[in-house]
Order: sequence, then C-alpha cells, then structure tokens
Amino acid sequence: MDSDVEDYVFFGTPIEREEEITSRRKKSIAEASGHLRTLAPWKQEVTDEEGRRRFHGAFTGGFSAGYYNTVGSKEGWTPQTFTSSRKNRAEVKQQSILNFLDEDEKAEFEGKSFGTSLQFDTFGSTAAEFARKQAEKEQQQRPSAIPGPAPDELVVPATESIGVKLLLKMGWRRGRSIKDSHADSLYDARREGRKALLAFSSDDAKTAFNDAEPVDLEQSVNDDGQLSRCTPVYVLNPKQDLHGLGYDPYKNAPEFREKKRSRTSGHSKNGRTKALSIKDSLFGLKSGKVAPGFGIGALEEYDAEDEDLYGADYEFVDTYAEEDEEPSRLSKDVRKKLVGRERQDVLPGFILASKSDYQLERFDPPVVPKDFVPHHKFPGPLETDSKLAVPLPPEIPPPEDNNLKLLIEGVATLVARCGKLFEDISREKNQSNPLFSFLTGGNGHDYYARKLWEARQKRNDQTKLVSDGKSSETAQRLTAETRGKLLGERPLEQSARDSSFSVGSENGIQIQFNLSDTFTKSASFNELPEVATPFQDDPVKQERFERFLKEKYQGGLRSTDSGGASAMSEAARARERLDFEAAAEAIEKAKQRKEGSISTEQLLGSSGAGRMLFTSGGLEQVKDTQAEDLTNKKVYPRREEFQWRPSPILCKRFDLIDPYIGKPPPAPRIKSKMDSLIFISDSVKAPRLEESVAANNDRYSAPQSDAPEISRDVTKEIEADIQVENVERPVDLYKAIFSDDSDDEVETFNPKKVEDPEKKIEVANTALSHLIAGDFLESLGKELGLEVPHESPPYPTSKAKNPAQKETSNANAGGNANILPVDNKSSSTRNAVSRTSIERWMPDQRETAQEGKSQKNEFTPGNPLNVSDKYKETDKYKGEIGCERSKEDEKSKLMSSHHKNRSSNSSSEDERSRKRSRRHQYSSDSYSDSSSEYRDQHHSRSKGRSKGSSREKSSSRRKHRKHRDRDSPRRSHNDTEKECTARKKDKKRRRD
Amino acid sequence: MSVSDLPRTEANVLKGHEGAVLAARFNGDGNYCLSCGKDRTIRLWNPHRGIHIKTYKSHGREVRDVHVTPDNSKLISCGGDRQIFYWDVSTGRVIRKFRGHESEVNAVKFNEYSSVVASAGYDQSLRAWDCRSHSTEPIQIIDTFQDSVMSVCLTKTEIIGGSVDGTVRTFDIRVGRELSDDLGQPVNCISMSNDGNCILASCLDSTLRLLDRSTGELLQEYKGHICKSFKTDCCLTNSDAHVTGGSEDGYIYFWDLVDASVVAKFKAHSLVVTSVSYHPKDDAMITSSVDGIIRVWKK
Repeated sequence: MDSDVEDYVFFGTPIEREEEITSRRKKSIAEASGHLRTLAPWKQEVTDEEGRRRFHGAFTGGFSAGYYNTVGSKEGWTPQTFTSSRKNRAEVKQQSILNFLDEDEKAEFEGKSFGTSLQFDTFGSTAAEFARKQAEKEQQQRPSAIPGPAPDELVVPATESIGVKLLLKMGWRRGRSIKDSHADSLYDARREGRKALLAFSSDDAKTAFNDAEPVDLEQSVNDDGQLSRCTPVYVLNPKQDLHGLGYDPYKNAPEFREKKRSRTSGHSKNGRTKALSIKDSLFGLKSGKVAPGFGIGALEEYDAEDEDLYGADYEFVDTYAEEDEEPSRLSKDVRKKLVGRERQDVLPGFILASKSDYQLERFDPPVVPKDFVPHHKFPGPLETDSKLAVPLPPEIPPPEDNNLKLLIEGVATLVARCGKLFEDISREKNQSNPLFSFLTGGNGHDYYARKLWEARQKRNDQTKLVSDGKSSETAQRLTAETRGKLLGERPLEQSARDSSFSVGSENGIQIQFNLSDTFTKSASFNELPEVATPFQDDPVKQERFERFLKEKYQGGLRSTDSGGASAMSEAARARERLDFEAAAEAIEKAKQRKEGSISTEQLLGSSGAGRMLFTSGGLEQVKDTQAEDLTNKKVYPRREEFQWRPSPILCKRFDLIDPYIGKPPPAPRIKSKMDSLIFISDSVKAPRLEESVAANNDRYSAPQSDAPEISRDVTKEIEADIQVENVERPVDLYKAIFSDDSDDEVETFNPKKVEDPEKKIEVANTALSHLIAGDFLESLGKELGLEVPHESPPYPTSKAKNPAQKETSNANAGGNANILPVDNKSSSTRNAVSRTSIERWMPDQRETAQEGKSQKNEFTPGNPLNVSDKYKETDKYKGEIGCERSKEDEKSKLMSSHHKNRSSNSSSEDERSRKRSRRHQYSSDSYSDSSSEYRDQHHSRSKGRSKGSSREKSSSRRKHRKHRDRDSPRRSHNDTEKECTARKKDKKRRRD
Repeated sequence: MSVSDLPRTEANVLKGHEGAVLAARFNGDGNYCLSCGKDRTIRLWNPHRGIHIKTYKSHGREVRDVHVTPDNSKLISCGGDRQIFYWDVSTGRVIRKFRGHESEVNAVKFNEYSSVVASAGYDQSLRAWDCRSHSTEPIQIIDTFQDSVMSVCLTKTEIIGGSVDGTVRTFDIRVGRELSDDLGQPVNCISMSNDGNCILASCLDSTLRLLDRSTGELLQEYKGHICKSFKTDCCLTNSDAHVTGGSEDGYIYFWDLVDASVVAKFKAHSLVVTSVSYHPKDDAMITSSVDGIIRVWKK
C-alpha cells in the first residue's frame, strides 16, 4: 500500500466521508479481532489496509479473482500428500499435461497433437535455419506494411520439419489430416504435379515457399468432411489495406476478399496469385473449361475438381488484371462471362439441372377466322364508304330559290351523314311535299345529287384524314366515335358538316362541341331544351320531342324505341328522330350562343341558317348577351331576409333583449315570421278541437277580441304566449326532478312574473336561465332513462293559458289554468277582463274538474267513489269568490279546503300543503293530491322525481288512498290519450 | 378633407416580422398598432415612434387576424391553427383558447363591450365566443354561409360577415333576422364606414363595393386596383371621405367616396398589400405586406 501511495502525487487533502471511514475502521477492527476469520472463505472479504475491498481490476477479476481472492483453485497451494501402506498401496498416479491445462489450452493442445514441433525435429536446427532464410527472402518480395526487412523476432517463419516435407512429398497437403485416407494418390500426385507446373511457369522460382503460402482452411471444402481434424495453418498476412486494425470488410462476404486478394496480387505479382484459389468463394465458378495456356497433363482426367481450380482462378486473374476496382464491374464481368457460357450460371454447390421444369410459356395468337375482314361494316344507314364509288355528278348551279337550296344542302348533308336510309325515309315522307321533290327526281334533283356527292366526299375525306391518324389521340377518338355509332349514339358531325365548314381551325372547337353533344350534357343545358317547343302545333310530337331531349341529355346511350312512338312506322320514327335531332341542335346552338360560349359567331350563324328550315323554334331563343350582362348587374346586390335566432347568451352579452325570448328553440330555420305565426296558431287550435268543447272555443275568442283593456291584437297575444310558455316548461321539469320542498327561487319567480309582466327584461333573463336549465334537464332526463313527457300536447295548453296571465296582469288567473288550459284560460280571462257572472263560469270549472278526474281514473283504477262532490264544492267556492281573487283569498281558501278534506292529516302535511298552495295559489288541493299520487305511482319510472323526500312520499301515500276512493267510479269518462298526457304534465307541475 | 391631407408620406417602417404580415391594425385610440403574420407572432408596435413593443407568441401556425379591446387590455387573435387566442396584453399570456372552428379562422373581432368575440372561419361559419364566462364553447354558430367567411364586423347590435360565397350577411341580434346581400363576387374583406351606415366590401373581381346597410343598395364601386387572389384589406378614412385599399401589386389606392375616382395611388410595398388600417382620428395609416414590412404613412 505504501508503494501504491508513493506512485501517485496527491494535491490537497482528500475529502473523506465520515461514515465511510468509520465503517471501514469498524470492519478492520472486526477483522483484527478475528471475527471474520471464522467465516467460510467465500464469505470472507479481502480488504486492503484501509478496509476497502480489494479490487483486482475491471478486467482481471474485479473484486474476486481466482478462488475467492486466493489462488486459482480450491486446492490452492496445499501440497499433495502421499500416503502409502502395505495394505493400502498408493496408486501410482499418472500425471499428464492435460491435468495442468485449461480448457482452451487443452483444445489447443489437442489440435496440435498431430502437429510438428521443433522438439522432435531431428534436423531441427538446420531446418529452422533454412526456413528462416526462405522467410527472409520471401519477406523482401512480399508487400509489407512494415518497410524494410522485418526483424527476425517478429517474422517467425513456419518451420518445415522433415516429416512435413516428407508428407508433402507423399501428397499430403496442409490443412488436411493425415488420417484422411484419401486413397486417391493419383489425385494428389496429379495435384502436386500441377502445382509444380504452375510454379515452373510463374516468374518466381520459389516453389518451395509457395507451398507454404497461405491456404485457408476453407480450402478443403471438397475434402470429405475432415475439417475438424485439420491442422491449422498460420498465415502471414501483411496488412495492405487502409482499413482499421481488426476491421474486416469482407467479414460476411469472404468471396469478395478472395477476389480482392486475387486482384491485388494479380496486379503486383502475377505468379503468386496462381497459387490462390477462390474455389471456396460463392462466385468461385466451377467453370467447365480448362484455362487455356496452362498445361494440363495429357493424361489428366477432366473432372470437376480440376475445372474448379483453374477455370475460375484464371478467369478472375484475367479479368481483374484489366479492370479497375469498381465492384459494379464485377457483376458486369460475370454477366459477360455468363453470356459466353450459360452453363456457368449456377451457384457453387448446385448443378445445373439437366432437365428443367421451367419452360417459357408462350401463347399463340388467336386464330383469325379465315373469312375475317379487318374492316367493320355497319349495318343500316352508315354505308357511306361503299358508296364512294359513285361517279362524280356534274357541277350543277344551285337552284334560284334560296330556301330550296338550303333545304337541299341540308338534306344532302344529313343523307351523307346518316346514310341512304334517311333519303328513302324523307322521300317516302315527303312524297306529297313539292318542296322535297328533288328527292324524287324533281326540281333540284341534280343539284341534290351533286351536293350529296360533295357531302359524302367531304365526309370521306375527313374520315380518311382522321383515320390516317396523324396522332394516336385522334385515332382513339375515332374509334370511340365508331363505337358510339355502333351503340346508336349520335355520330359526331365533324365529318358531315355543311359545305360551308372547312376543316380548319374551327374544327377543333367543333369537335369539342360534338363530343360534348354526343355524350352527357352538362347540367346547365338540361333545363332549357325542355322549355323550347319547336313542335307547338303537334302536342304529341312535342311530347315525343321532349322525351327525346330527355333521353338525349341524360345519357349517351339511347333506347331504340322512343316510348310513345311505338305506333309509328320504323321509317317515320327514324325521320322524326332526325327532325328532333335537328331541332334540339338548333335549340342548343341558341342556348350556347346565349351563354356566350366559345363557339364562333360564324359557325353558329351558318349552322343555324342550315337548321332553320327544319326547325323554326330554334332561333327564337337567341338573346343578346349584352342585355344578359346588364340584367346580371341589376341582380346584384340582391338582398334577402331570413329569420335568424341569436342565442340568448349572445343577446345577453350584447346587452340586448332576446327577440326570441320564450320561444321554443326551433332547430330548423323558420323562413319568415308569417310561417311561425301560422304554425303557432295551429298548434293552439289543435288541442282545442280535440277537447271538443265548442262552447269553450267561443268563449275563448270572444272575450279576447272584445276586451276593452287590451290594446294588443291577437297575434301579439300569441307571441306573448309563446314567450311565457317556454318559461314555465323547464321550470316544471326542473322541479319535477330536483326540488320538492326547496323551490323558493321558483316561488319568488312565479309571482314576480305574473305581477310584473311589463318588466320584460326580467322575464327575459329568468326565461333565459330557465331555458338553459330546461335544455339541460331534458338531456339529463334522457340520460337517466326518464321519460321526458310529450312536448306537443302540453304546449298548447300552457300557451292558451298564458296570454291570459300576461294580459290581465292579474296575480290570479294563470297558474290555476294549469289544470285545464282552455277552460281555465277562458275563465281567467273573463275574470280579468269582463268579470262575467259566476253562473257562467261555474259549469266550466265543473266540467274541467270532471275531466280531470276521469283522467286520473286512468292512473288509479278500481277505486270506490265517494269524494267526487268535493270538486264541485271547491269549484263553487271558487266561483263565488271568482271576482275578487287575491293571493290571500286563494290561500285561505285552499287552506280551508285542505282542512276540510284532510282533517285526518297530520299538521306537518298541512304545512306542506300550505306551502304548496302558496306556490300554486291557483291550484285546487285535489289536484295537488292527485299529482302526488301520480308521482307515487310513477316514481319507479322516474328516478329524478322519486328523489322527493320520503316525508312527502309517505304523506302522499296517505292521500292517495283517499283519492282512489273518490275517483274510481268516474272511470267511465274516458278522454283522449293526449289530454291524459297533458294532464300528467300539469299534475307534475302542480305537485310542486 | 382634401386630397393633400391623405397620408402618403412614409413616417416609419416597422420591421420585425419574419415572413408575410397578414394583418396590421390600429388600436382603439390609434396610439399603437398590432400586426400578425406568418411567423406565428403577434407584435405590438408604436407606429408613431416606430418602436416594437412586444411580441406575442403562442400560435402554432400563421396568425391571420388580431383585434384589441377598446381598453387595450385584451387581444384576440386567430389563425391557421383553428384556434382563437384571447390574450392579456400586458403580460402577454394567453388567457383562453377558443377551439371549435373546423378549419382556419380568417378574422376575429371584439364586440363593443369586449364581452363577445366573433370569428369568421374557413369552415363557412361565424362563431361567437363568450369572453366573460370560462366556457370555451361557442355561444353561437352561424353557418348559413355557403363558403369560407373571410371577414367579420361587429356593431352594437349586429354581426356582419363577408364570405367567399359572395354574400355580406348581417345578423341583427336585436331583431333576430339575417340580411343577406349577395354581391355576386367573392367578398374577402368587409369594413364598416365610420358612421355605420355603409359597408365597404372588397370583392375578388378587383372591385370595392359600397353598400348601404339599411337598404342593401349598391352605392358605389371602386376599381383600379388589383385584387384577384389575395385577401387585401380595404377601409374608409376616418372622415369617410375616401376609400382606401391595397392592391396586389403593392400599391395603395385612394378613391373618392362619392365619385369613385382614384384620387391617389402610390407604391407602398414591393409585394401584395395584405392589410390597411386607418388611424381613427389622425391622418395616418398603416399598411402591411407580404414582404414582411409594415409601413406607417402620414400626411
């Protein structure tokens, strides 16, 4: 340790942590006391003087080298004991070197077991001497990374013992075990002879050393699996490349190394490379050819072995002597070679199959039938080509009559285009028509014939022109055309246009047109032709024409039968179709012109004139584009007005009153205010009709219209309805779900609303919040699986109720109306407005009450009746004080009624009922009861509702019994389901 | 106001944006200006002294529009990242991000009380966002547009949007109705006159159109500049006497409001002028361009 310290120079005082020192000291103390010595050796820790674990070095054992930091084995240095007695003789132990060798050493030893060593070399000194000399000589010639003669110590040549030499002479080769009974001595001899020959032919005369030349282990691939026994041959390989030490670029591709070696050596020393073999490499081609220029003995057999050795070898040396190092060349060379000798195209280890399954599959071209003419003839009218042989009719001056001239020209073009059939048809059709006499040889026939010929000629020229095919594109287009014809599509007119057309620059445009004509029309064209009525005089024909147009513009394909024209003869139909075609074309042209499309004026003018004879309707459509532009300008800017509903919060943030406050949130966009009004009034009426209480209807409308106090008109009233209506709905639902007892908020809200209907803003705000709450609750209800009550029926009822509320600004009427909307509304309106007599009012109430009961009966079936009169009683009571109804009145009244009805009930319930009645001053107690009943019955259905306090539940149950008692006999009064649901909702509201 | 009063001399050049500046706006009193651009930043400047004050970075993509509250306390900005950022001016922090637009957001504006932000998006919608609550959901989605909404204006009671579908739609919150003025040409910028009676719409047929808001009548058309493929702003001078707008060739045009004659034009930028903003009181103007420069023009 001291010496260790002396080796280093320390600066400063080392910082030592206290714990370390103390722990170490403890340890050392413990050690000193011999505490640790009792431990097993493998548990002991070897420490240095400072108590640290002894560290031998990261690569030399770490903390534990040898046998637990002792010696290399368990026995260690303990001497062997020898005991022997008479009885027990000590066995003579045969010690071998193997006892003292490590595993790797043993392997080495075993591998060397057949090797020669100087030890046994008889002439060892001389042989070694000789080898050294040879090595030196060789060293000078060998390219070496170390310049100059290598020191003897470094370059230790493989010494050749005499045994080796003898073996070699006997045909043994390096890397081969002696045991290998390759009995083929002839083979070996041959090989040796060949080698000698090689050496002889090479420039260098150091044959002996050539034998000692590096020959890799793998060389003996061909030798029959004796590899394991092979003696290793040490190779002196100078580093000649520029790679890093130990880096082998050919590690995974040894074949390239071989090549590279052969190449480089081929460059530097031709002679030496001959000895190299690349037989082992993948590309070591087993050439079936003996390298020329090398003498192979005449007696030598021509076997695979030989081919391998020399053919490939030569091949490589040869090529690489000339080529540079680019690896891509290699493949080229190989390919080149392959071209020459196909047989070489086999991987080493594979033989070319003599019989190959693979055969290039060839298919014979389809057999053309003998009678096939490579020219398609179209059946029917399209026989223009065949008629070209018609001799040229003489030039005829056109007839004086311009119309006739145009007609003739037109017909000629058409006939040229559509074939002879068209001519026949027109002839047949127009037999009586003097204008068409030229067809039958009359006036202008010659001119017609001439024109026809011209048209055909032109058409033929054009088709020829195109079919000659300057470009493949046009050729393709033509085939499409022919196909179109084949399918009965309208042929392209490019080929058979009026004589006024030249195949000039317009052609391109026209072709485009035609193409678009022939196939589907763009959508913009779809409307107009239907408007055009070129056959106004003949409605049937017009109809057919329209159908034709439809067919024409809706698709490229055309049905052969045009529907209603089935009664017509084939010829007539064809003719008509042509007419239609022309008419449609004219219309089209007009349209196109109007659209200001690309067609040139000239083009249209001439064609339009040509068509005019056939259809007079076409040109009417032409309009001035300028005028169109003007109108377009006038169109913009165009103002439209829509309903738009700003969200309530937006209004709030903008500090504006929501214009749609209280209106139901309509998802669809309402187009105008009128619509919405109609919609609303309808919905108001609908339930009214359902109730089938005609009298109510009358009363409902009468007071409203008569009302002297009301300045607003009916529509406004309805608007108002909607506003308030929506305010209430969500509140109810809210209460229904959450608050049975503690809705003071709502409590305060309701009277306020009723009391100050003028304070719109406040209403708006509250409505807003409740709207939101309502929406939220709706979604919540859905989530809970709660059946959200029908929206539609309750609306109108509350709607009907509300205007009264609002209008009268009476603290009284509105809430009451909840029971039966229409009736109550009317009643309350009356209360407020006209204060009608009690007699008139009473029957209504009674009726509603009865209805209400009958409703309830649905919920509580099978109960005996006895308290039905109560309704009447309360109604009467109501009627009596109907005129002057204040909150207090109502309350007290209800209280009294409660007391009357439920004297048996507990005081707490009374309190509750009072509370309830305060909330709904206008409701009769019976309904509040029924509502609780309702709830009870349905509480399983609605979780939210059943949240109500158990206190309430128990009390209500008690109530139910009563109600059931009194209600059931009224069951016979069955009302509509809808009312029922409306009632349900009302009841729900009432309950709170 | 005579023609000589028009701001035509360069007072300052505000350099700092890397890449195109997409919008430059005066603040409410005209003492500062804000700019935003393709470098994903918003910059606050003092245009009168030519000083760069602050940079607001948070946008993930280009910032297309920025607007500041009248009290200069908050910023709103929008851009290619489909978000609307609500910034605190002094700290430079993002207070809120409004997400919901399905595509790039082209324009944003505060309302008068800075309580609502209206944004116009490429997703054919106008959206209103609440700045008061903590909700990041839009409080209103207006999706009646047929195409990308390019620009938005707010009055006390209305939201006005200009869209590529050629319409300028006025949404009257008070009345609850939508007025659609179809101009027949894609509208890429709308700007209110200072008296609030007219809307100036920049259309992609290189025409500015002045609409009467109450009747929807076309009052005047201003031509001469080039506006065919870029969103180039237009505005009226603070006296409403002239109309000004940028051109795609880098020119700034001034038209007489009434007779639509070009009273002045000058080359302001080498590239497309993206934005013009006129000082609310003085005769000063800032213009921004794709060349990354904002110029301040004075009398």
